[in-house]
Amino acid sequence: MNHTLVCLFATAGFDKSAQGLLGAAERLAAATEGRVTALLLGPGAGRLAQDIAPLAATVLVAEGGAWSDPQPEACLDAITRVCREIAPRAVLFSSDTWSQEMAPRLAHRLGGTAVGDAIALEVRDGVICATRQVYGGKAQAVIALRRSPGVAWLRARSFAPATPGAPGEIRDLGFEPGAVAHIRVVERLADATGQVRLEDARIIVAGGRGIGGAEPFQQELARLAEVLGGQIAATRAACDAGWVPALLQVGTTGKKVAPELYLAVALSGASQHTAGISDARNIAAINTDPEAPIFKHCSFGLVGDYRQVVPLLRERLAALCK
Amino acid sequence: MQVNASEATRQIYWNISHIWLMYVLFLVALAIAVWGLYRRWAQWRQGAPLARFDHPLARLGLLWRQGLLQVRTARDRYAGFLHRFIFGGWIVLLLATTVVALDADLGLPIMRGLFYLVFQSFLTDLAGALVLVGLLMAAGRRWLVRPPTLVYSSEATGLLLLLMAILGTGFLVEGARIAATGDPWAAWSPFGHLAAWLMAPAVGSVEALRSFHRVIWWVHLALSFGLIAWLPYTKLMHVLTGPLNIYTASLEPVGAALKPVSFEENTTFGVNALGSFTWKDLLDADACTECGRCTAACPANTAGKDLSPRDLILGLRTLLARPEKGAAIIDALPATARERLWQCTTCAACMEACPVLVEQMPKIVDLRRYLVMEEADFPESMQEAITSLESRNHPFRGTQASRLDWADGLELPGLEAVAEAEVLLWVGCSGALVERNQKAVRATAQLLAKAGVSFAVLGRDERCCGDPARRIGNEFLFESLARENIAAFQARGVRQIVTACPHCFNTLRHEYPRLGSTCEVRHHSEFLQGLVAEGRLQPGTLPGRSLAYHDPCYLGRHNGIYDAPRQLLQSVPGLELRELPRCGPSGFCCGGGGGLSFTEEPPAQRVSRVRSEEILETGVDLVAVGCPFCMSMLEDGINAGRGERDVRVLDLSEVLLQSMG
Amino acid sequence: MNILVCLKQILDPEVPARDFRIDPVRRQAERGAANLVTNIFCENALETALQFRDGPGVGSRITVLTCGPASADDTLRKAIAMKADAAVRIQEEACPDPLAVAQVLAAAARKLGGFDLILVGREAGDWGAGQVGGLLAEELGLPCVAFVDRLEVCEGGLRVRRQTDTGAEVLELRSAAVLTITNDEHNVPRIPKIRDVMMSGRQPITTWTRGDLGLEGPLAAGYSEVLELFIPVSDRRCEFVAGETLAEQVDALARRVAEVVGAV
Repeated sequence: MNHTLVCLFATAGFDKSAQGLLGAAERLAAATEGRVTALLLGPGAGRLAQDIAPLAATVLVAEGGAWSDPQPEACLDAITRVCREIAPRAVLFSSDTWSQEMAPRLAHRLGGTAVGDAIALEVRDGVICATRQVYGGKAQAVIALRRSPGVAWLRARSFAPATPGAPGEIRDLGFEPGAVAHIRVVERLADATGQVRLEDARIIVAGGRGIGGAEPFQQELARLAEVLGGQIAATRAACDAGWVPALLQVGTTGKKVAPELYLAVALSGASQHTAGISDARNIAAINTDPEAPIFKHCSFGLVGDYRQVVPLLRERLAALCK
Repeated sequence: MQVNASEATRQIYWNISHIWLMYVLFLVALAIAVWGLYRRWAQWRQGAPLARFDHPLARLGLLWRQGLLQVRTARDRYAGFLHRFIFGGWIVLLLATTVVALDADLGLPIMRGLFYLVFQSFLTDLAGALVLVGLLMAAGRRWLVRPPTLVYSSEATGLLLLLMAILGTGFLVEGARIAATGDPWAAWSPFGHLAAWLMAPAVGSVEALRSFHRVIWWVHLALSFGLIAWLPYTKLMHVLTGPLNIYTASLEPVGAALKPVSFEENTTFGVNALGSFTWKDLLDADACTECGRCTAACPANTAGKDLSPRDLILGLRTLLARPEKGAAIIDALPATARERLWQCTTCAACMEACPVLVEQMPKIVDLRRYLVMEEADFPESMQEAITSLESRNHPFRGTQASRLDWADGLELPGLEAVAEAEVLLWVGCSGALVERNQKAVRATAQLLAKAGVSFAVLGRDERCCGDPARRIGNEFLFESLARENIAAFQARGVRQIVTACPHCFNTLRHEYPRLGSTCEVRHHSEFLQGLVAEGRLQPGTLPGRSLAYHDPCYLGRHNGIYDAPRQLLQSVPGLELRELPRCGPSGFCCGGGGGLSFTEEPPAQRVSRVRSEEILETGVDLVAVGCPFCMSMLEDGINAGRGERDVRVLDLSEVLLQSMG
Repeated sequence: MNILVCLKQILDPEVPARDFRIDPVRRQAERGAANLVTNIFCENALETALQFRDGPGVGSRITVLTCGPASADDTLRKAIAMKADAAVRIQEEACPDPLAVAQVLAAAARKLGGFDLILVGREAGDWGAGQVGGLLAEELGLPCVAFVDRLEVCEGGLRVRRQTDTGAEVLELRSAAVLTITNDEHNVPRIPKIRDVMMSGRQPITTWTRGDLGLEGPLAAGYSEVLELFIPVSDRRCEFVAGETLAEQVDALARRVAEVVGAV
């Protein structure tokens, strides 16, 4: 039996990412003539299992006991153990940082092949193939995963959700995490900005190198985002300059976002950045350079200096959105 | 008693005894002065060698214009008058004293007759009065007007008072003698005569006058010898170091002012100790007259930044006086703080303003070289430009343009056939990769095509000329880029180069030959103007537009090219050409040179804003520029300040092309 | 501490999109006019190691290692100019298979021996697979922490901070480990001093072949394969808002934005 194993760290809940992941799993399982097994780890796994059950044949829940404070190494060991037991054909992860780190390591342990940031999955002649962006978003490649299992972490929000069916079996995982002495999480630092996760944000106002400093991000962009009920984000240049925390970086090596509106302010739109917004429904930009690459990705835009445009825009929008 | 004019004279040392004391005091004063001079000279000697005694005729010419006629000093009319009075007057007074010495010590009977009356009495009196007037003008400016460019030190006050006292006591001595002896030729010394007339009732009898005369004579001597002794220890030293500095000034255009760097291992790269400067750099520090014109002309200072070329030079003078040898220059004083060094646009307005031809700007680059090459400590924004140059051969990190984008849509057959072309059009990084500047390159190319000039470009083989690296201080990177470009010139048979960028122009013309380039280099303003003059281009008209030309620093001050761009613009009928208040050699920088265009300046301190305001105040519709950096800086500044008015910035080539329809 | 930093030389990722071309037959990017540069995350990793040695890890020895053709010597020389202690290159042509690369690096690391810490960039700017760090750790039997941006010493080991989607995590390590480094405002690579650049030309770079490492056969055939490589075509057209004055344009923009936002 070809299992497609889906691994989820339960803290995020049944968000768009989880939904997309299960959708991808459903279609992959169908293509490999298999079934979907879900492995849910950490606090909230039990509740999540209720949402997942209609979408998977089996749901393994690891909650309670030492699972209430999961350690990454222990999670990887547990996933490895489950994989050795059920020998899946494919293992799918979401795009969170633990998953990104674990996918290749898991593949190695199981003698399989990993791939990351897949935006599409298919099976060609029995081989699992993943499509992903390469060269900083300037190109795309189709990669064949020659060994089994194929372990992939997905840009899960890009995938359509699964169709619910009869609920599968929910089972407790059945073992506690191993003790890992040599590497422990000792502190978790939450994002101080208090924003909704960028991947879930509906409206994003992003700034780039052209913003010129930390203050304008707060004075101009954050207030604009507030009027719109959205979040701020930034390019790598702005993060490297220390104007905003790295958490807000969007791009190939930052967050991949899929908002209804992505308003790009004073950023040029290099491919490494726009690779992170390809799923945005509407992209608009404010930039002094009409030839800036960002405009090639926009549906509408304004050529102007953000310092003059943004305050006016805020005013108008505040009036319109009343 | 009627005495014959041909025997007119006066008794030298009348009423004075113990003359031997004068000689002794003179020797003492002289010894102190010589010691002071020697110390200064010893300081200069610690500097590296430099050949500055070649072409004596040209140097004498410089000395004539700047040292004697003092053309630069006279740019400020008030200062020009007061300085020429003091300078000219003193020369006459010194000559008069020499005459006395020749007569008294060598026995030459020259202080007689008409010569005595006309020169020794009348002209000398006039000279003394002029000096006094000059000193009063100087005092009025220093103590009443108090312009910020002057240095307000107790030394300056002391010198002024001393000089006034010397002149004052001089007239008193003369007046007392005339009053006491009833000099028949007194009318030939009008001011001495006036002093005598004022003095006589106050002092009283001849006996009293003689005592007074004796005292004042020795006071006058003490003050004068005091001045001699003190002079080499004060800024008045410039009476000697100024002319020496002018004589040993650079005969090359400002564009060639930066020294090459030797990459021998045991030398320090750049300068951070006095011994690493040349002797001429150290002489500059001692020649400075503290006038402050360089700082007044400095665009960074004018825009509110801390950089002050005058304070930097005077800072070096302070450090020269310190006993510790080899101490670090950078950050030793507020004036040499490293932040200030990064504010310089290398425009050389300081050098142009200096009456004694001090070379301020190259020293700033020398200090930058130390920071960049020895410590790798320089502003992050400039680091990005340097890193981009190393990885991508251009300084514009983040550009999405490529080297031939500007040619899109233009019919230019054989664009890359360099060997067959007459002229290589050097596009430059700004011209190729900054969208606004691509338009100027297009316009230039179109004009060349219209004129039937066969030209080609290096295209992707073109690397940055290296100017940003050189001005920021990374000579190593500059040389590496330059050598690669020169190799390309040689491999592809380039002989003549035309470029629209004055920075590229300056670098290719002055800095590449040393590394093996034999190409002729022209700026597009000269080249296009030549084509118009030959009739190969016929300008159209642009009726009813008023236009001002902004001199690019690297074309104007650095290379002396002021006329060709203006002639080019004047060849377009209908254009009303107006000059900006600060134009030509005193043109005000756009703020883009010296690597500054790659940095973010605080908005309140932008050089471009100052220049843009100056331009907007003239009310012109168009601003013509000849440089892509000026284009970027001024467009930003003018767009920020023009409000609802329509004011455009155009390259010279765009003006010409637009006129042709 | 004995630190190994793995570097990769890649085609300049900031080549403008219009100049970027692919060879569809060989399924890789064309060199064109692009220069070769060191992958930025590898430089962040090197900078992290250098700052560690400047600070809490004083006395550490930093070895840089790359797997690549002769041109990759430039990457190593730049690292030497930044004051890495030793440099090793394994002669290999560029290969997009992360396991193959990880196996070569692991063999070299074993041959060099005795590393307490191995730093790699989180991913390369060309293929961006982001796997070599994790695979290398597994090859060497070491734990791995990815997306690290801060490194400190703590009692008994190292304390590292790594970025997560919701903020950051701090972990303590008590054994040798592989860390993949991500960019941060603090690990922007330093500019080397010119004197060091000049001297770097003279330092020896140890060059080994796969044979020297005891590896045989072609690079891990059969892990993954690039089946297709293409440049996707986009047909979006941007509509610039209408208006004579800025106020009018901003008005038009505001209305479009409100439409999009309200429509949801």
